[in-house]
Amino acid sequence: MKKITILNGDPGNRAYELDSYLGEIENLLESRGHEITSFVLRRMDISYCTGCWGCWVKTPGECAVRDDSAQICRSLIGSDFLLFASPVIMGFTSAVLKRTCDRLIPVIHPYFEIVNGEVHHRARYEKYPALGLILERGADTDQEDIEIIRDIYSRMAVNLKSGLRMMRFTEDSAEEVADAIDSI
Amino acid sequence: MRLTVFNGSPRGKASNTAKLLEHFLAGFIEQAANEYETLYLIHEKDQARCVEAFKEAETVLLAFPLYTDCMPGVVKTFIEYLEPLCGRDGNPALGFLVHSGFPESVHSHFVRRYLEKLSRRLGCRCLGTVIKGGSEGIRAQPERMNRKLFRLFFELGRIFGKTGQFDKKIVGQFARPVRFSKLGLLGARLGGKMGDMLYWNRMLKKHGAYDKRFARPYEPDKQ
Repeated sequence: MKKITILNGDPGNRAYELDSYLGEIENLLESRGHEITSFVLRRMDISYCTGCWGCWVKTPGECAVRDDSAQICRSLIGSDFLLFASPVIMGFTSAVLKRTCDRLIPVIHPYFEIVNGEVHHRARYEKYPALGLILERGADTDQEDIEIIRDIYSRMAVNLKSGLRMMRFTEDSAEEVADAIDSI
Repeated sequence: MRLTVFNGSPRGKASNTAKLLEHFLAGFIEQAANEYETLYLIHEKDQARCVEAFKEAETVLLAFPLYTDCMPGVVKTFIEYLEPLCGRDGNPALGFLVHSGFPESVHSHFVRRYLEKLSRRLGCRCLGTVIKGGSEGIRAQPERMNRKLFRLFFELGRIFGKTGQFDKKIVGQFARPVRFSKLGLLGARLGGKMGDMLYWNRMLKKHGAYDKRFARPYEPDKQ
């Protein structure tokens, strides 16, 4: 059994298929005994990170802005697997998902360390979830976009002391994706 | 030349981005006929105004700090508003400034790929991306500590105002080091320790939070 957090970054302003697709995956994963916490980001109160560093130097580990992002940080730290899901809009994941990612920095520590020969920030917790990404391609999405997204999420995974272990598309069957998550 | 600047920092007018732009723009208006307008994405209530400004612009500079190895959320919001302009005739020339607190430029290389692709997607002539590391804290530091940096930004702006191009030599200078050498890493490790002590610890102590610096409020067994 895995604890799984899903961040649904569908902005809801167009007829994306992501909501129903994720619903199928959630049902499958639950039927296989996994515990799912799913956040539909567009329905949550998540403001922009203001870069105040409050979460690092005033109330370490917690954002100074008390909104729904705290639930996400808590769920992330309690999970074995974190799934980002978004349509590709203008060549990247949605603004609502990016805004949410910016609010995850309370789970890391300001101190510096060297990772893969680069300066990064240190871990705050002992354990972080493995990361996965599901994308719904747009009409203008090409292979270069996908590679850029993959590379940036792989970097974000290093920041979150983890790795990007899965990247799938809504054209893959829900079973395939559930199998992939099972095997991580 | 008429330059439209979009400051994408979540800290808006009080940002390091604004500080760097201040010097760039001072250089830019050395050329008497040059003029600029700055829009702060975070302070802008009406995104339609930003889209309109982009549409009417001749040359655009989009500047922001690196957030989680990418653009801050507010910049992505703005980019999504630009979608109807993709491939439109008469889109502005587009240049970028990305800065980050990390000392090496490699952290910003991935978003640079994104930005240069974005230019193509919009059908904008791409003027390139200026990447500057080690920029956190400059707004809080005394001017004299950054005299050389500000002079270079002034020079970059001055040359841009004259030629419409980012000076390759200055851009190259800002970009170093891309990654640290083995020897450089020893220095970076030491620099990191100093940063912990002089920057983070100082702020932690100022806010009376030093003893709680390793807090794990979301640790599962504490729930």
